Amino acid sequence: MIEIDDLHKRYGDKTALAGVSFAVKPGEMFGFVGANGAGKTTTMRILMGVLAADSGQVRRDGRPLTFEDRRKFGYMPEERGLYQKMKVSEQVQYFGRLNGMSAAQAAKATADLLERLSLTGRAGDEVGALSLGNQQRVQLAVALVHDPEVLVLDEPFSGLDPIAVDALAEVLVERRTAGVPVLFSSHQLDLVERLCDSVGIISAGRMVASDTVEELRAREGRRLLKVVVRDAAPGWTAGLGGNITEKGDEVLFTDVNGSDQEILRAATKAGTVEHFGWERPTLTEIFREAVA
Amino acid sequence: MSGLWLVARREIATRGRTKAFVIGLVISALLVGALAFLPKLFAGPDSYTVGFVGPSTLQPALTGAAKDVEITVKPFADEAAARKAVLDGDVDAVVVDDRRVFADGEVDRELGLLLEGAHQTAQAGRQLAAAGLDAAKVAEAMRVAPLEQVSVGADTRYAGARTGIATLLVMLLFFQLLQPSMYVAMGVVEEKGSRIVEILLTSIRPWQLLGGKIVGLGALALLNLVVVIVAGLGAAAISGFASDMPPGIGGVVVSTLFWFVLGYAFFATLAAALGSLVSRQEEVSSVLTPMMMLIMAAYFVSYFAAVEPGSPVARILSMIPPFSSMVMPVRTAAGEVPLWEMGVAAALMIIATAAVLVVGARIYERAVLRTGARVKLSEVVRDGSAVAR
Ligand SMILES: Nc1ncnc2c1ncn2[C@@H]1O[C@H](COP(=O)(O)OP(=O)(O)OP(=O)(O)O)[C@@H](O)[C@H]1O
Ligand SMILES: [Mg+2]
Repeated sequence: MIEIDDLHKRYGDKTALAGVSFAVKPGEMFGFVGANGAGKTTTMRILMGVLAADSGQVRRDGRPLTFEDRRKFGYMPEERGLYQKMKVSEQVQYFGRLNGMSAAQAAKATADLLERLSLTGRAGDEVGALSLGNQQRVQLAVALVHDPEVLVLDEPFSGLDPIAVDALAEVLVERRTAGVPVLFSSHQLDLVERLCDSVGIISAGRMVASDTVEELRAREGRRLLKVVVRDAAPGWTAGLGGNITEKGDEVLFTDVNGSDQEILRAATKAGTVEHFGWERPTLTEIFREAVA
Repeated sequence: MSGLWLVARREIATRGRTKAFVIGLVISALLVGALAFLPKLFAGPDSYTVGFVGPSTLQPALTGAAKDVEITVKPFADEAAARKAVLDGDVDAVVVDDRRVFADGEVDRELGLLLEGAHQTAQAGRQLAAAGLDAAKVAEAMRVAPLEQVSVGADTRYAGARTGIATLLVMLLFFQLLQPSMYVAMGVVEEKGSRIVEILLTSIRPWQLLGGKIVGLGALALLNLVVVIVAGLGAAAISGFASDMPPGIGGVVVSTLFWFVLGYAFFATLAAALGSLVSRQEEVSSVLTPMMMLIMAAYFVSYFAAVEPGSPVARILSMIPPFSSMVMPVRTAAGEVPLWEMGVAAALMIIATAAVLVVGARIYERAVLRTGARVKLSEVVRDGSAVAR
């Protein structure tokens, strides 16, 4: 388990992190979301040891993280960096070897990864000759080549086409299933919602939510009541509590405050109730609500 | 340690495969090889073709006397044929009846001396024989040992060659110290600017990354230096210049390699530390200015030392680091250096290099992960908490 405990970081008199804490369990995919400048990259750089926190700690299974721990992590920094003049396959192998793989292991892992990321045809090209999206795939291969025990990826999906998004998602799910904690940041909330077990929302250097997706939705869920009544007499909602939005037969109630059963009775009286239930908010809605 | 070797190997493979490196290697080897032929070109030819008209007693005296010079003899039937051969440049001179010499213009100075000497010997022998002396006794009496030259000052027999070699060494060391150090700085900035250093430093330690880069690029520079030296000595052997070279050239080579390794470690580490302060290639040359000035200063002093190896300035600066890394090998090539001066120079330079390695590695470690604007040296030195490691 990776624990981030009460991180604080200031740049001059600007506070970037003001007490960030969350945990990523083995076999859990954790989506790290937040507005631009909220502190995601800062948190991840501290986690990877390329930036020092002013205070706070990062632990693995209760012990503070060491260099040796981090060597076994797979890291994709926000600002992509590759040797432009080095060939794709050589470059991925080089990073495998730096992480302690033998030449043969690195060669095999590289070939497998390039295959999965549809880069086999470009293996002998210089990285600089690749399109941005393909360079991004090489960057992923570099993060994944040594079969990391933990994955820390800063916006890994940005700049990828839908096919590559699926390929990467597949790789991440596979790693997660193998028991690897996966932490990634993203602005693509639908993707986070689809892939992640847990989500952490950061706003202005503070965690405003951190929980499983189910839990977050359930907690935020009792806000929007959707009722559909066929052949209802107009004005049946008059006098009912909450904010009301009508659209044809469909009526949305917010801020119901416990008057849901009263609404149900009124609906039954008004006509044939076709739908009555709480709307599950999307992650986007939860996010908007949380950072507002 | 393996991390360091992996980095070094990558540097060697990447830089060693570039056209710039290969072309630089070939050109510098050719250039130095060509220079080894230069003294012989200026010194004039080692062989002459001399024609003879009529029987000659001068001829055996000439071919017998000349030891360092090769003389080819060509007989001619008459004067007309001889004149034509001289004008066509087939022969350097023609001796006619042991009495006259034909040449195109003046006779070559060295050949003239040789001919005159042979003429004296032959003529004196003939005249003594005519006076009734026994031919064998005459020959015996004519055998004279040459004058022995003794210098009561410094041994200046090889002064010219020494100065030449030392001057060449100045340029060689200057380029082989400056260029790879620049490459080290550019490599550091490439990694910092592209942020690749963030991934690298989660896999290996800063000293492995820095050390690997310095070792790898240094190995290439050393290879370049060795190739140039071998090319120079090889060409000298072929051109015949080797026989004019001062004794102890092996010592000069060893001293050059020794001082190169120290000097390179010093300047390359300095370049890496300065380079790690900036993030863009455009800023490299400005941030390297102090190092460049140091190398330039060493370069000028070395030139002076090549010409005046015994002057107080050369003697003192050849013991002060980092100037010693260039001045001392140049002085060693240009003249005799007392052993104690070499010892002091080496000890001081080793201490200085070790200090630069320690301080430079620390600056690099603290600055290389600081992104954004140029890092101030004072900030790095003061604040050690930039990165948790
Ligand atoms: N080197 C720096 N110097 C000064 N301030 C910085 C530096 N790096 C980050 N910051 C500030 O710290 C805050 C957090 O930045 P961070 O990069 O962590 O945000 P982020 O959540 O990753 O944003 P984004 O979604 O845009 O990537 C921002 O206000 C940013 O301006
Ligand atoms: Mg970011």
